[in-house]
Amino acid sequence: MTGYVDFGYVAFMGVGTYGMALGITRLVHFKGLGIGLIIIGLCLAMVMSTLLALAVGAVALRLRGAYFAIATIGVNEGFRYLIEGAKIWNGSEGIIFMGQMNEAFGDEVASALSTFWADVLVVIIAALAAFVTLHYMRSKIGYALTALREDEDAAKVMGINVTKFKIIAFITSAIFAGLLGAAAWAIKTPYVFPPEVFEIHYTVEAIIIVLLGGAGTLLGPVVGGLIYGISKYFLAIILPGFQLLIFAPIIIIIIVLFPEGTIGMLKNRVRGTALERYIV
Amino acid sequence: MSLLRLENITKRFGGLVAVDDVSLEIQEGELIAIVGPNGAGKTTLFNIISGVFLPEEGRVFFQDKDITELPAYKRAPLGLGRTFQIPRPFSSASVRENVAIGAMFGTLAGKVTVDESLEIADHYIDLVGLQDHRNKAAGTLTPVEKKLMEIARALAMKPKLLLMDEAMAGMNPKDIDEMVQFLLRLKEEEKMSIIAMVEHIMRAVAGLAERVMVMHQGAKFVDAPTKEALSDPKVVEVYLGHSKGE
Repeated sequence: MTGYVDFGYVAFMGVGTYGMALGITRLVHFKGLGIGLIIIGLCLAMVMSTLLALAVGAVALRLRGAYFAIATIGVNEGFRYLIEGAKIWNGSEGIIFMGQMNEAFGDEVASALSTFWADVLVVIIAALAAFVTLHYMRSKIGYALTALREDEDAAKVMGINVTKFKIIAFITSAIFAGLLGAAAWAIKTPYVFPPEVFEIHYTVEAIIIVLLGGAGTLLGPVVGGLIYGISKYFLAIILPGFQLLIFAPIIIIIIVLFPEGTIGMLKNRVRGTALERYIV
Repeated sequence: MSLLRLENITKRFGGLVAVDDVSLEIQEGELIAIVGPNGAGKTTLFNIISGVFLPEEGRVFFQDKDITELPAYKRAPLGLGRTFQIPRPFSSASVRENVAIGAMFGTLAGKVTVDESLEIADHYIDLVGLQDHRNKAAGTLTPVEKKLMEIARALAMKPKLLLMDEAMAGMNPKDIDEMVQFLLRLKEEEKMSIIAMVEHIMRAVAGLAERVMVMHQGAKFVDAPTKEALSDPKVVEVYLGHSKGE
């Protein structure tokens, strides 16, 4: 919603993954926490991604546009090498906590958690993210973010504390990334290796999806995700191994010809009509 | 108590002195024009008042409060509204949303809800005559419409002092006369002070302002009641290049 592209997005997912892993491995001996352990893990994931967002945001949010994007690429790689090099949280060996999951919840519940409930959690997190985004869009935060995306200096003169709103947006996105990491990766697999969770590929995919769908919209990522997922699947069948080669020119074409994405285009079409309310 | 007081403001860009030791005082309810040729330092002065630039020397007081180093976003809620020389709409947002942003973060910040802001926006959109463009994306407006939208947006901030940067550039004489009447009416109805910056449309200045400050090469050249200022030989020389007889 801010127009700032965060190439370090996956770093927040990675940190969230670690939040869950650390929560489970360190607290497994406190019997009686039961499923509360998962909740503690999710909270840890949120707290850790918020802290990282504050640290990164304090520096990177002073930069604008492309400079911000470049700075955030470094965050992801830097954080990964920090964990590996300084041997934080087991360093490059990662954390494998299948055993602890079984110990804490029993074999059956643990397996249900990683096969079924992790997916349910992802859906809940996505719904929550959609709800929060919708709420932001209809509130003053949304107006402020639109203004600062279009013209940061004009926004300041209109009385908008751009730094504050950028940090709100940045932390919100980091929290959801952290939760997603905790649910979609940590609970599901259940192990964490630095090179896997800090894989920049995921960020790139996320950005492609947003571009396809339309940045700054709610339906955009959903539509973009569908287009991307389906075309990736069929490309893999028709031209196995060439997906990325084909996606690169497609992305360039989209950026040049349809910078607003699918939903953005649709939104411009229906502007001022009764349909406008439903294209968000 | 003066509304705005500038004391010996100097702003340099490298070796260029854009504003050179300018002092200015504006009372509540006053409407003054700042005129001067291109490059005289008018926009730089506006940027210092609204907090886009900090001056190297001098102080800025708003209602006797020293705001010299106050960030721009904290000045708007105090009652400083402005428009830009080249309109800067939030292009993807609708006209209505643009104007509502003014209401939300101006002097009413924290006192109005989003819905109330949209209502205020509608009022000012009607006032500037853009009611048929309410739901259009601001980026699709014509240049003159963008100017009007910026005025509505600044008015929705309910400012005590409105800074208008070249509000009438590019308008035809009829539009200029209408705009002058509009501003005079605004000043009465909204009880605000206005500083209008005008590059060369003397027709507007003469009908509009009680007082004129003429800037030349960054410095204050003349600050006097309009009639006096416009007939000052020094001003004529700056504007026409040469005084009579040469």
